[in-house]
Amino acid sequence: MESISKECTPLKHEYDACFTKWYSEKFLQGAKTNDCTKVFKQYQECLKRVLKEKGLTKMISDARPAIGSVFADRDGDEKK
Amino acid sequence: MRLFEATHVFKHDWETVSLANWRKYPNDKTPHVRHVEILNQDVDPETGVLRTERLIMVQQNVPTLLKKLFGGDASYVLEYSEVDPREKTLSMQSQNMTFSNLLSVGEHIVYKPDQENPKHTLFTQSAQLKATNTLCRFANKVEDMCWNRFNDNAHVGKLGLEQVLSKINAERQAVLMVQNVE
Repeated sequence: MESISKECTPLKHEYDACFTKWYSEKFLQGAKTNDCTKVFKQYQECLKRVLKEKGLTKMISDARPAIGSVFADRDGDEKK
Repeated sequence: MRLFEATHVFKHDWETVSLANWRKYPNDKTPHVRHVEILNQDVDPETGVLRTERLIMVQQNVPTLLKKLFGGDASYVLEYSEVDPREKTLSMQSQNMTFSNLLSVGEHIVYKPDQENPKHTLFTQSAQLKATNTLCRFANKVEDMCWNRFNDNAHVGKLGLEQVLSKINAERQAVLMVQNVE
């Protein structure tokens, strides 16, 4: 499945592949550390840029309370 | 307001179904789901629960009345999910973001082992569809049309997941065959 913006697609595919492998082989066996954080960070940087360009960032943070999300908007001060 | 409720038993264990959930898109049955992006994802270090936030972009043919009211056919949905591997529970909550000033669609899904057969997985889906006052006398009509569309999508969604489950099983069979040959 393509990413919302073509430029992020290769990183998304890489993350999806890494995640499903980690999920089935490690997470379901009790692992608490995500093996795919490096590629996730790269994918996130690409995606966040695109969401901002498309003007979706505010809409997303506004919708968070309705779904009980624990995540907050880290725009501008991403975890280092 | 209209409510939608459905249950289904997948004849696969919870681990496999929860994996299939992550691999669900794309599949042939749900071409309207165009993009799924992972916005946030981590494991709670205390509980071991996987928390995920996804952005889903849906695009499909909608009745002309809706297209006119809503000004388009593409919409964004925000989804938050938690997977508890010890309790074997996957729960997801989602909400439409586009057109939410006209119609609110909140959906809740749970996958857990079926109590009658722990090797099977029980899927429970519930949704609330609510047209806002802006729509006034169209509200019931819009809710009905959206409920019907939701019902159709729920049906093809199950078929899509079954397709992914078959694919996962075929992959596992292939690995076993290779191992036997070796």
